[in-house]
Amino acid sequence: MSALRNRTAEPVPGFAEALERLRGEAAGSSGRALEQRNAAFERFQALGVPTPRVENWKYTNAASFANRPFALAPRGTVDPDLVIPHFAGGHKARRLILVNGRTVPQFSHLGGLPAGMTVRPLAQVLAETPELVDRTSVNDEPEHSFEALNRALVEDGAWISLEDGVALDEPLQVISILTEAESAFMAHPRHVIRLGRNAKLRLILTTVALGQAESLLNQVETVEIADGADLTIDRTLEQGQGRSAITRSRFVLGSRSRLQQTTASIGGSLIRHEMEARLRGTHSEAILNGLMMPQGTEHVDTLIRMHHEMPDCQSDQFYKTVADDRGRAVFAGKIFVHKDAQRTNSYQKNDSLLLSDDAEIDAKPELEIYADDVKCSHGATCGDLDPASLFYLRSRGMDEALARSMLTFAFTGEVLERIADESVDHIVRRMILSRLPGGERLAELG
Amino acid sequence: MATALETVREYTGGEYKYGFVTDIEADIAPKGLSEDVIRLISAKKQDPDWLTEMRLAAYKRWQTMTEPTWQKVDYEPIDYQAISYYAAPKIKERPKSLDEIDPEIRRTYEKLGIPIKEQEILAGVAVDYVFDSVSVATTFRKKLHELGIIFCSISEAIQDHPELVRKYLGSVVPAGDNFFAALNAAVFTDGSFVYIPKGVRCPMELSTYFRINEKGTGQFERTLIIADEGSYVSYLEGCTAPQRDENQLHAAVVELIALDDAEIKYSTVQNWYPGDSEGKGGIYNFVTKRGACRGKNSKISWTQVETGSAITWKYPSCILQGDNSVGEFYSVAVTNNRQQADTGTKMIHIGKNTRSRIVAKGISAGTSDSTYRGLVKVLKSAEGARNYTQCDSMLIGDKCGAHTVPYIEVRNRSAKCEHEATTSKISDDQLFYCRQRGISEEDAVALIVNGFCREVMDELPMEFAVEARKLLAISLEHSVG
Amino acid sequence: MLEIKDLQATIEGQDKQILNGLSLTVRPGEVHAIMGPNGSGKSTLAYVLSGRDGYEVTGGSATLDGEDLLELEPEERAAAGLFLAMQYPVEIPGVSNMYFLRQAMNSIRKARGEEEISAGAFMKLVKERAALLGVGGELLKRDVNRGFSGGEKKRNEILQMAMLQPRICILDETDSGLDIDALRTVADGVNAMRSPDRGFLIITHYQRLLDYIVPDHVHVLAKGRIQTSGDRSLALELEEKGYGGVLGAEFAEVAA
Ligand SMILES: Nc1ncnc2c1ncn2[C@@H]1O[C@H](COP(=O)(O)OP(=O)(O)OP(=O)(O)O)[C@@H](O)[C@H]1O
Ligand SMILES: [Mg+2]
Repeated sequence: MSALRNRTAEPVPGFAEALERLRGEAAGSSGRALEQRNAAFERFQALGVPTPRVENWKYTNAASFANRPFALAPRGTVDPDLVIPHFAGGHKARRLILVNGRTVPQFSHLGGLPAGMTVRPLAQVLAETPELVDRTSVNDEPEHSFEALNRALVEDGAWISLEDGVALDEPLQVISILTEAESAFMAHPRHVIRLGRNAKLRLILTTVALGQAESLLNQVETVEIADGADLTIDRTLEQGQGRSAITRSRFVLGSRSRLQQTTASIGGSLIRHEMEARLRGTHSEAILNGLMMPQGTEHVDTLIRMHHEMPDCQSDQFYKTVADDRGRAVFAGKIFVHKDAQRTNSYQKNDSLLLSDDAEIDAKPELEIYADDVKCSHGATCGDLDPASLFYLRSRGMDEALARSMLTFAFTGEVLERIADESVDHIVRRMILSRLPGGERLAELG
Repeated sequence: MATALETVREYTGGEYKYGFVTDIEADIAPKGLSEDVIRLISAKKQDPDWLTEMRLAAYKRWQTMTEPTWQKVDYEPIDYQAISYYAAPKIKERPKSLDEIDPEIRRTYEKLGIPIKEQEILAGVAVDYVFDSVSVATTFRKKLHELGIIFCSISEAIQDHPELVRKYLGSVVPAGDNFFAALNAAVFTDGSFVYIPKGVRCPMELSTYFRINEKGTGQFERTLIIADEGSYVSYLEGCTAPQRDENQLHAAVVELIALDDAEIKYSTVQNWYPGDSEGKGGIYNFVTKRGACRGKNSKISWTQVETGSAITWKYPSCILQGDNSVGEFYSVAVTNNRQQADTGTKMIHIGKNTRSRIVAKGISAGTSDSTYRGLVKVLKSAEGARNYTQCDSMLIGDKCGAHTVPYIEVRNRSAKCEHEATTSKISDDQLFYCRQRGISEEDAVALIVNGFCREVMDELPMEFAVEARKLLAISLEHSVG
Repeated sequence: MLEIKDLQATIEGQDKQILNGLSLTVRPGEVHAIMGPNGSGKSTLAYVLSGRDGYEVTGGSATLDGEDLLELEPEERAAAGLFLAMQYPVEIPGVSNMYFLRQAMNSIRKARGEEEISAGAFMKLVKERAALLGVGGELLKRDVNRGFSGGEKKRNEILQMAMLQPRICILDETDSGLDIDALRTVADGVNAMRSPDRGFLIITHYQRLLDYIVPDHVHVLAKGRIQTSGDRSLALELEEKGYGGVLGAEFAEVAA
């Protein structure tokens, strides 16, 4: 504990002030909920804010991004016209909208959900059934600073629950908007997602920051995928300078269940996405794909912990990275094969493009294996665009900048192709093209 | 019929073939570490003042440091005050010729299969024999001397070539580098020294054979190899220790320096006593090995076959400073029973067009744990740098662990890094195929494992490849039931 | 010399019987061909006889010169003179073909209490036999079966057989994947090994092979047992009428 403490920074007073404010409001908080907040906050203070001396934060100085005087998010509203362009999943998709970490029911469209499926504001669920507080967390004493902080300061989030055998045919999109603001703010939403046996859901998680502000989004998601259930997630994160997003997703998978997630982490001062997947039943499968694309001084960091706890499961991690300008990308993926997880097949691949001499790429693809009958592999490559291909395009008359953009775009294609929802695919391609020099000329490829 | 690998039988302690003790009167320093002990060692070694100062400074530094904890190994805390930091066989003076060597020591090396002789078996190999804390003999010195090559114990080098030692000692691994390097800098007693002059290709393999004999002691040797411009040397180290119930600490430091166009090939066959099947006894091997490719077009190549030690902690590394310099790391690490190995390399690319290649093969059997840990770092200045890394692990039985922890840090866009790693078990199909052709299961395992390690074994000098191959088979004996 | 009586076997951990009371006797000097639809159990028979893991013998017996094969470890069966040329030969990275062969030969010799073959004699022998089978010197130096083409693998199997001089040779679809010339070479290799004290069990789908290696007996294996036996002409009849035509409608399109 003390050993850890001297590798972390003392939290700034802003966090304690935020807690104080929430205590004051106390609305919807039962005694039990308050107790939880206090305990979590104590934990956060004891853990401190990680610095690069903490192994999992070696390449990302959380303290410099997050240990700053943020106030709790203002109760902002937002012009619907600004949100509509981010709609995805087709006109039949259901939508839940959050602004600065709080659900906004009047913007949401949740009509006609099948029986056995609920999508509600977490705040409401907790107000009605406070005992569910305990259900929203998986382990009682988080070892993770930001998870502890989230638990202390959470106000709202999405509660999505599908009973056994329930399937939603259309996608459900959760759009999380961060607004403009004069002063720095933070939001700590928590999503609780539960798929009962053989349930099926396509989820689109869209995070967008509108306009200028300094903000910290510290989101935690707990996702339970019961036996035979199937969850597909398309996730995009797009924010501007001064915005930091730390997301921690915890997945637990039952037998013969399946998770497929594709993430596009496009911008922001910091995007840190941590995923922990626990394959707790046999014959389950987890696929995590992603694209990271830092530019300017952006910093994108992905950390994956894939736990094979039972035999006969499969997993695949496939991440592509494009770092330009002074951007920095970090990929730390780890495959854990526990003792009894025989016949595990697990793969991990991280390919990186470094487009500038000031950009930086750090990769740490790890294997930790305790079962012998396994097939595990990882690969990582890093380099500039292939000179031969570049030459080929130029010899066909393309100028260098365009040729580079085209090849860069092609490089991202292998990941984009794994996005499940077509409209998300379009949005992501558009975002990528808008970041490439001469991208508008490539638009027809999108 | 039982599945080929179903039952992992226990290894019986007596298999370690080098576990005997030599009965020879020794000069041993009192247990524990203090300034006085360091001064005592310094006096025994007749150190010049600068070295005594260096030791004391390192000791001060060490006292402020803590043992590293990031590695994936577990062991009982080491009581640094319970170790004796100096043990030397009682010989009045270093023998003038090989004929004067104490017969007990002579017999020891004969039993180990490396007789102190300049002939036959090891023709073409010059050997420095280090027994506990001191070097007891070095062969072929005359012949090497004629070429201007210096090959002697580091103690002698300190006396006879102080300018060289002073210039390079600690220049690659400074005392403050890590806890064990600091300890070594404070208390090192002997080791080998090699200097290859400009333009000379050393005509024979140079070799040091380390033997821990005394109990309650540690071994802290220091090796320094300098390859001057345009020179070449191939160096090999081997090591064994008696079978004892206690754990003994071995904390060595090896520094290599390659100047312009020079090449150093450093091979290790590490066979320290691994402890018994219960994990009792065995050597704690905490070693810092690092080479600096200082000159342009220089090359340093590490090859290691690690089969011994209860704990192995070593990361032979290359600092690729010179433009076009090349670093290589070829490694086989075999762990069985309760052995734990955490080993790998660091390749630091600084100069332009520097290249590195890493091939690491880990084999875990019994209830052992084996970890590859490596860093490939390409600095901004390393225009055109290349790295290729291949790490493969093989598991034999379902009670062992195999881990891979690579770090890849790239800051130059013209650099190209490729990393691949796989983990698999020894294949039932391959085993059956061999057995159908009449090869016994145990031989089949050895055959397949040797095949798995072939790329690394091919890097070993001929004389030792055969030995290493046998060693591999012996370390895996009884790993299948 | 090879006596298989009422052999029954399942895949370990599964109930489904793959071999269903199979009986077959191969006398010294005889060549037996086994044909049968895909999945009928031909490879399973070969594996059970040679002792591969993963099968459970649930009944019957198999003896070689009176010795119970089923009790022996795979390497003991090899030493007893049983050789299996596999349908899918296995690759062993890092182990040279030549080294592997020598290791195999010496292991078998040792098991039989014979002296190891000297390096010189071995080299001479392997070069000689390899040349006969059209296995190039380069292939001998390469890793066992690694990167070999399908046909090269099969030739390599026959080379191993020629080196180890077994008493009973089981060839599992050695002809699949061979070009016309290679088929000839392999057949010549096998014919050269035919002798009064050696038996052959040749599994094949194509009667063409049997033009070159003329069998004494042809058996049709389906549903895990020998359904019918005959001489050469049975192979020709099969070629013409198919399994359904020979065995009856219930065997048309059977997957065991
Ligand atoms: N390891 C296994 N697990 C499950 N089923 C198996 C296994 N091995 C064989 N089988 C099944 O046993 C049956 C017999 O297989 P076998 O390989 O012996 O057929 P075959 O006659 O050699 O076919 P082919 O002509 O295609 O080579 C098939 O149905 C096959 O699917
Ligand atoms: Mg078959």
